[in-house]
Amino acid sequence: MSEPFHHAASAPESRLPVRASRPSHDLWEAAFQAYYVELCEYVLRFVGSAEAAEDLVHDLFLRLWDSRALRGSVCLTKPYLYVAARNRALKYLRHRRVAAAWVERASREETPTASSPEDLYLRRELADVIAGAIADLPARCREIFVLRRHHHLSYREIAARAGVSLGTVKSQMWRATVLLKDKLAPYLTPPAASYSRPPQGFSV
Amino acid sequence: MFAEADLLRLIEGDCSPEEAAAIQAWIAADPTRGELLDQLRAVWRLTGDTSRSWDVPESLTRRSRAPRRSSLELVATRRPWWRAPWPRQVAATIAVLLAASLLWRLPRPAGPSRSFATARGQLSSLTLPDGSRALLGVDTRLRVPRDYGIRQRMVDLDGEAYFVVEHDARRPFIVRTPRGSTEDLGTEFAVRAYRQEGAVQVVVVEGRVALRGPNGADSVLVTLRPRERAVLDSGGKATVTRDVTLAHSLAWTRGTLLFDDAPLGGVIAQLERWYDLEITTDDATLADERVTISFMTKSADEALVALAQVLNVRATRAGRLVRLDPVGPRH
Repeated sequence: MSEPFHHAASAPESRLPVRASRPSHDLWEAAFQAYYVELCEYVLRFVGSAEAAEDLVHDLFLRLWDSRALRGSVCLTKPYLYVAARNRALKYLRHRRVAAAWVERASREETPTASSPEDLYLRRELADVIAGAIADLPARCREIFVLRRHHHLSYREIAARAGVSLGTVKSQMWRATVLLKDKLAPYLTPPAASYSRPPQGFSV
Repeated sequence: MFAEADLLRLIEGDCSPEEAAAIQAWIAADPTRGELLDQLRAVWRLTGDTSRSWDVPESLTRRSRAPRRSSLELVATRRPWWRAPWPRQVAATIAVLLAASLLWRLPRPAGPSRSFATARGQLSSLTLPDGSRALLGVDTRLRVPRDYGIRQRMVDLDGEAYFVVEHDARRPFIVRTPRGSTEDLGTEFAVRAYRQEGAVQVVVVEGRVALRGPNGADSVLVTLRPRERAVLDSGGKATVTRDVTLAHSLAWTRGTLLFDDAPLGGVIAQLERWYDLEITTDDATLADERVTISFMTKSADEALVALAQVLNVRATRAGRLVRLDPVGPRH
C-alpha cells in the first residue's frame, strides 16, 4: 500500500501498448487486463451491486471483442472505456427504474483524474496517518477490518477465523469504518477544485 | 427498513441488483445519507486498493465461452458539454479568468489594482499572470497591483489563501498583510490573515518562506521550512511550530473546517464566514470554552447541530441569525 489513495483507478498506462501494428486481439487482451478491475470499481459506484457491475463491464468488453476489427484501437483507450461504461451504467439504472434522485446523483460521478497540485501535500503524510488510524482501532475491530480490507477474506471466512458470528463481523466492520471516518475526517473531502459551490462573484 | 450499516453493502457491492436499487432509493430519500455514503466511500478508498476483490480470470473464461455475437454497434453517446454540470462550471471559471487575463493585457492608464474576492461560504482558485496559482478561502480578498510581475510580485491579502508559486529569485513573490509580509523562497504555502484577527498565520508545504514585518523592507523575522507553521501575533512576535499535520492546517482547502482545542470565539467567527451566519449569545461563560470539532457538511443547520451538541447549548436559527442558549448545567 505504497500509495493508498491511488486506488485501482490508476493502472499503469504502460500496460496498455497502443501500437497499430499489433493484432487487435492483443490490444483487446491488454485493455481488458489493464482496465477491467478499475471499470468494475467505477461502475459499482453507480449500480451498487458487484454482480450488476461485472455484468455491465463484461458486456462492454464483449461488444468490443465482437467489433474489434471494425473499430480498431480507438475504443480500447481509457477515456473511451470510461465514457462507454458510464453510459451503460446510467442506462441500466434508468432501465431498472432506480430512484430518479439516485440516477441524478450517479450522473454527477466524475471519471477519475490525476490529483490536483493541492493534493500533493497529502501524499507525504497520508500513508502514515492511515496506518496510524488503523493501528489505533480496538483490537477486535482492527483484526476484522484488516482481514477484510487487506486480505480480502469474505465475511464468512473472517467469522470462522476469528471465531465470532457473521453478525459480529458485520457490526465490527461498520464500527471500524465509522471510527476511521472520524479519524481521517480531514482527508475525506475532495480537493477544493471540485468543491460543490461554483466559483462566482469574482470582482474583477 | 435499512440502517446506516447497509451503506457498506452498497460500497462493497455485496448485494443483489434488487437490494442495491432499494438501498439507493433509501439513500435518495435523505441527503444526509448520501453525504455519509460519500464519507464512507472515501474511507474505503483510503484504506485499500479496491472496494472488493474482483474475479478477473473468471471473467476472461466467460468471454471465451460466450457465444460469438454479430458485430453490434456500440456508440458511446457523449453528453453535450453544456448539459454536463461540472464542465459548465469549469467553463464559467475559465471565462472569468479569461476575462481577467484580457483585462490584464489591455493597455490602460495607470489605475486601480485588480481585486479578487470570495463571498462567505465560497472557495475559488485563480491563476496569476506569471502562472502562480492561488486558492482563496471564504470571505477573502486578494488585491493584485497593476505592476505585479514587473519588478516584484506583490499581492495584498485579507483573509486566507493557499499559494502555489512559480519561483523566480529575480522577482520575489510577496504576500502583504497589515501585520506582516510573507516572501516566497520556494513554492507552496498558505497564509491566513483576516483583518478581524490580530495574528497572521503561515504554513509551508514545500520550499522555504521568509516572514517579515508589515513593511517589505523589514528584516526577516523567521524562515520557515516544509511542515512548519508560524503565527505572527499583534505584537510582532513570531511563534514557530514544527512538524504540523498539513492535512489539519490545510483542511479548509478541501472544504473542511477543523478545530483542535480552539477558543470558541475563533470557531464562531469561522462558522459565520463558512455558512454566512451571524451567531450571538448572552451566555458569558461560553467565551471561555475551547472546542475540538470538525465540519464537513455544506449545510449550516447540520453544522449548528454539531456545534450545539459539543457545547451543550440550544441553537435557534432564523435566517442568517443564530442564537446560542444554555440548556441545563454544563460540566
